[in-house]
Amino acid sequence: MLTYLRRRILSSAIPLLVVVLGVFFLARLTGDPANLYLPLSATQKMREAFSAQHGFDDPLLVQFGDYLAQLAHLDFGESLRTAQPAAEAVLRAFPATLQLAGVTLLLAVAGAVVVGSLAAYRPNSPADRIASFLSSTAASTPDFWFAIMGVLVFAVTLDWLPTSGTVGSAAWVLPVATLLIRPFGVLVQVVRGAMVTALSEPYIKVARSKGAGERRVIFKHALRNAGAPTLTVAGDLAVGLINGAVVVETIFGWPGIGKLMIDSILQRDFAVLQAAVLLTALTIFALNLLIDVCYVLLDPRVRQGAMA
Amino acid sequence: MSTHEKEAGATGRAGLLRLLAADRMATAACAVLLLVGLCAVLGPPLLGDLAREQNLRAVKLRPFSTGEGWEFVLGSDSLGRSVLARLVVAAGTTLSVAVPAVVLSLLIGSVWGMWAGFHRGWRENVSMRIADVILSFPSLLLAVVVLYVFDPSIANLVAVLAIARIPVYLRTARAESAELRGRLFADAARTFGSGNWAIVRRHVAPIVLPTLLTVAAVDFCFVMLTESSLSFLGIGIQPPDVSWGLMVAQGRAELRNAWWTVVFPGLAIIVTTVAMTVLANWARIAGDPAQRWRLTTPKRGRTPRGRGSVPDSAAPPPGRPQPQQTGSRERTAKGTSHGEAPRQEQP
Amino acid sequence: MTSPLHPPVSTGPPGRRAAALAVVVLLTGGCTVANSGAAADAGTVQIVLPEEPPTLEPCDASLTATGRVVRSNITEPLAERVPETGELEPKLATGWKRTSPTTWRFTLRKGVTFHDGTAFTAKDAAFSIDRTLDSGIECNVDGYVFGDSRITASAVDATTVEVTSKEPDPILPLRLSFVEMVPTSTDADSRVREPVGTGPYRIEKWNQGINLRLAQYGSYWGKAPDYKTALYTWRAEGSVRAAMVSSGEADVAVGLAPADGAGDHAVEYPNNETSYLRMDADKPPLDDIRVRKAINYAIDKKGLVASVFAGLGKPAGQLVPDGVTGYNPDIKSWPHDMKRAKSLIAAARADGVPVDTKITIIGRNGIYPKAAETMEVVQNELREAGLDVKVKMLDVNAWTEYLLRPFPKDAGPTLLQAQHGNQAGDAAFTMEQIYGSKGAQSSYGTPGLDRRIQRAEHAAGRERQARFAEALAYQSKKVVRDAVLAHMKSIIALAPDVSYKPDSASGDEMHLAEIHPAG
Repeated sequence: MLTYLRRRILSSAIPLLVVVLGVFFLARLTGDPANLYLPLSATQKMREAFSAQHGFDDPLLVQFGDYLAQLAHLDFGESLRTAQPAAEAVLRAFPATLQLAGVTLLLAVAGAVVVGSLAAYRPNSPADRIASFLSSTAASTPDFWFAIMGVLVFAVTLDWLPTSGTVGSAAWVLPVATLLIRPFGVLVQVVRGAMVTALSEPYIKVARSKGAGERRVIFKHALRNAGAPTLTVAGDLAVGLINGAVVVETIFGWPGIGKLMIDSILQRDFAVLQAAVLLTALTIFALNLLIDVCYVLLDPRVRQGAMA
Repeated sequence: MSTHEKEAGATGRAGLLRLLAADRMATAACAVLLLVGLCAVLGPPLLGDLAREQNLRAVKLRPFSTGEGWEFVLGSDSLGRSVLARLVVAAGTTLSVAVPAVVLSLLIGSVWGMWAGFHRGWRENVSMRIADVILSFPSLLLAVVVLYVFDPSIANLVAVLAIARIPVYLRTARAESAELRGRLFADAARTFGSGNWAIVRRHVAPIVLPTLLTVAAVDFCFVMLTESSLSFLGIGIQPPDVSWGLMVAQGRAELRNAWWTVVFPGLAIIVTTVAMTVLANWARIAGDPAQRWRLTTPKRGRTPRGRGSVPDSAAPPPGRPQPQQTGSRERTAKGTSHGEAPRQEQP
Repeated sequence: MTSPLHPPVSTGPPGRRAAALAVVVLLTGGCTVANSGAAADAGTVQIVLPEEPPTLEPCDASLTATGRVVRSNITEPLAERVPETGELEPKLATGWKRTSPTTWRFTLRKGVTFHDGTAFTAKDAAFSIDRTLDSGIECNVDGYVFGDSRITASAVDATTVEVTSKEPDPILPLRLSFVEMVPTSTDADSRVREPVGTGPYRIEKWNQGINLRLAQYGSYWGKAPDYKTALYTWRAEGSVRAAMVSSGEADVAVGLAPADGAGDHAVEYPNNETSYLRMDADKPPLDDIRVRKAINYAIDKKGLVASVFAGLGKPAGQLVPDGVTGYNPDIKSWPHDMKRAKSLIAAARADGVPVDTKITIIGRNGIYPKAAETMEVVQNELREAGLDVKVKMLDVNAWTEYLLRPFPKDAGPTLLQAQHGNQAGDAAFTMEQIYGSKGAQSSYGTPGLDRRIQRAEHAAGRERQARFAEALAYQSKKVVRDAVLAHMKSIIALAPDVSYKPDSASGDEMHLAEIHPAG
C-alpha cells in the first residue's frame, strides 16, 4: 500500500508541473493587464512603467523562469489588484470553499445513498419513478433560481434566514441548500442505477437464499458493490465543488476560491490565478488519490494489484 | 457470449419499440425529445423572424393572456419579443451546442477510459493524470484563451465544453472497466482468442455505458447552462442568436419583475434534461437482459425469451437463462471476511 | 490568517505536499469564515457595495471601488468639487491663489490632525502630492488626473504649500482635489492598504473578504458625523443587495439596476456617466458623414431609455452632462427619424459608398444594465435603416483592446459600445483623450477639432466654458464621430431609517457624513 501511495504521489509531479506551466502560459495569452489596471487616460510611458515593474516586458520564458524561482522560495507573487501576496488571498479563500464543499458533499452522499437505494429496491415502482423524476429535476434546475428565490422567500418574505453573508450558522442554510441540489440529483441517479444492477447480481440471490435479511442485503452487499461508480461520480462532483461554487459564492457573498479564481481570470490577476490553480490542483490530486485508495479498499482485486 | 449478442439482435428494433411503448414515462420522454428536435429543425425557418422582431412599446407582456395574439401566449421579453418564438428558435442553437459537446465528451471520454482501464499499467496512469490536469484547469481560462487566440465560433464553444467534460466520462469508464477486466468472462474471452478491442466492445462497453449515459443525461443541463456563461465572455452564441442558456442568463436580472423571461427557458432546460434522464434510465433497464422484464411487468408473454411468470418483486425471475451471467454480471462479492456470497478471486 | 501560510512548495515530492496542504487547510479552515462581524447597533450605518475595495490606498482613490470608501471618509483632499455647482470648496486648504501662470499657493487649515494624532502640516501636503505623482508606485490618480503634466510641491511654511506645474494649468486646484492627504510617515515606496488620514472616520477592522468597519475619529476637525461606526459589506448580486435593504440587513445598497427590485427603497440619481457608440470614422462606409448621421437618426434614444433602461437615463447629444465645465445646453439629442436615416444611406449608396459592408458592434457585457439588449436594439434599428450589422459582446479586457490605441488591425468598421464618466467635472478630462486625433480612446479626429480642444484647454473661467462648449458643438455638427445615447442614472436603495441625498458624485465618493438617521 505504501509503495502504491509513493508511486502515485511521485507520478503526480509531472501533471502538476503541466498545470502550472499551462496556466502560466495560457493566462499570458489573454491580453495585457495594463489595460485593466491603468486608467484609460494613462500615457504610453505609464504603460511601459507598469509592464516593467511587473516584469511583463521580459520574454515569456524569462518570466516563467522567474516564476519558478519565486516558487522555489515559496513566493507566489503579488496580486495586481490588491498588491497583497497572492498566497494570502488564496489561503484566505480556500478554507471557506472547503467547508462549504465538505458539508454539501456529505449531505449529498448521505441523502443520495438513502433515496437512491430506496428507489432501486423496486425499480420502476411509483416510488422509484418519483425519486428519479425529482432528482433529475433537481439536478437540472439552474442554481441561481434556487438561490435568488431562496433569498426572496426565506430572507425577505419570511425573515427566517439572513439573505447572505457568513455570519452565524443560519447563514449556511441557503448556500448549502443551493449547492446541494445538483450533486444530490446526480448522485441519486447514479446510486439508483448502480443499485438496480447490483441487486440483480447472482450473489445477492445467493445472499438472499442464505437467509440474509433484506436490510443486510441492500446495505451490506449491494451498496458495497454500488460503491465504485458512486465514488467516482462523487469524486468528480467534489472536484467541481473544490473548483468553487461560483454562483453560490457570488450570490451569497461567500468569500471562496471559486469567485476569486473567476475574478482573477477576468481581471488578469495572474499571480492570484496561478496560486489558486496550484492550490486547487494539489487538492484535486490529493482527492483523486484518496478516491483511488477507497477503490483499493472496496475491491480486493485492485488491492492485490496495488500491492504487487 | 455471442449467443447473447444474437439474441439481443433478434429482439431487435421492433422489440425495443414495443418495450418503449409499454413504458408511459419513457414514451412521454421520447415525445418531449422529439418535440424539442422538431423545434430545433423547424423553428428557425418558421419563427426566426418573429423571434427577432422587437417592439419596444410592448415589452414584458405577461404570459397566458391571449389579447396580444398567440405569439405572446408566453409573454414578451424586455425588448418586446415573443418568448414563445424565442424558446422554439433557441432549441436549435441550444442543441447544436449541447448535443455535440456532450456526445463528443462522452465518446472520447468513454472510449479512452475503457481503453485505459482495460489495459491498466502506464496507459491507465498517464490517462488518469491527464484527467487530473484537465480537472484542475479552470475551464473559464480555456474559454478566455480561445476568445483571444482563435476566432470565437460555435465550434470553439463546443470544443471548450467537450474538453472540460471529458475527464468525467474518462474517470467513470476507467473505473468500471478496470474492475470488469478482472472478471472471469474477460479471461474467458481472451482464452477464446478475442482481441482486446473486441472484448472491450462486446463485454466491457455494454456494462459501462449505462452509467455513462446516466451521467451524460444530467450533463446536458450543465452544458446548456455553462454555455451561456461563456457567451457572456464573447465566445460562442452571440445576440441576436439565442439559446436557452442565454435566455436564462439574460433574464436572470428579471427574476423578480418578469419571471416568465427566465422561468420558461429554464423549464425548457429542465424538461429536456429530465426527459433524457428518464430515457437513459429506461435504456439502462431495457439494455440489460437481466432487467428487461421489469419494463413489461404486468403483461405476460411479452418478456424477451418468453419468460413464463414474472414475479412482482425485486427478486429476479427464477428461470434466468445462463448467457446473461457470462454476458453481463458476475461480480465477486467484495471483502474477504464474509462468506455468504460466492467468491472468485483472481489467480 | 494574518500571515500568509507558506505551503512547502519547493521541498519534497509534490504529491505529499498536496496531502499535507489539504490537511493544513482543513484544520485552519474551521476558524476563518464564521468569526466576523457582530450584529450592528443603532449607531452603525450598514452599507452594502457591489465589490470589496481592492485596496484603501488613497492614491488609487480614482478607482470607484476604492474611492467610494476612502474619499472624504478616511482621507481628505485640499479642496473638493461640489457636484451641484461645479465649484471647488475648501477642505484641508482654506484658500488658494494663482501666484504665477505655473504656480499655485494653498493655505492649509489649522488644527487638523491625522488619525495617528500627528498634526497635518504643509510638509504632509507636499509629501502627499509628491507621493501620488512622482514616487513610482503607479498611483491610479496620477494616470487618471495628471497624465504627462509635471508638478512639484514644496512647503513654504507650516501652513502654506506651493505647487508648480511645468505648463500653465488653469485647473490645477481641480486636479489636486483628487490627491488625498496622508502623513509623511506613510510608505513612499509602496502602496498601503490601510491608510491613515484626516477624515471623520478611521479604519477599525477590515475582515478581508467579509466586511470593513470604520469608526468615528474623535478629534476630527469638522463637525462630527451622525453615525458612530460604518460597516461595509459587499455582494456582487444586485438583487441580493436590494434584498438586504428589504430585510433590514443593510441601510444603504449601492449600484442597483431597475430589475433588482429595490421597490419603495429605490432612489434614482444621475451618475455622471454617458453612454455612447464610437464609430470608426476612417473606415468605409463609416468614413462617409451621411452614414454616421444616418446611424444617429436611426437609433431611437427615447424608446431605448424608456423601455430598455426602464426610464433610468436621459437621451443625450453630448458626452458631458450638465454641471461639467464645457457642457453645451444647445446640443440636443438626435431625433429619431428612420425615414431620414434610410434616405441618407440611399444617397451614400448612390455615390458609391459601400454601405453593405458588414459593421461590427463591439459590446461589453455589464457596462451598464442591459448592455447586450441595448446593442440588440441598436442592431435591429441599423438593419432597418439599411446597414449590415452584427454584434459581438466581449468581456472587459477583450473590449479594452478595441477601446484603446493601438486598435486591433483588420477589425473592419466597428461601432464600439462605450460609456464615459467625467468624475472631475471639466471637459478637459473628456475631450482630448476621446476626440483628439491622437487620444488614447479616439478612433478618429480632425485638425479643426484638435485646434478647438487645445485652445479650450489653455483658457480659464468663462472663456474655458465657452470654448469647450464650442468644441463639443463642432464635434456634434461637423465631425459626428459618435452616436451619443443617454446620460445615465443609477439607483441606490435606502432603508426607511436613514436619509441620504445622492448626487452625481455618489458613485465615486460616498460621504458617510451626509448619511443621517431619518426623522
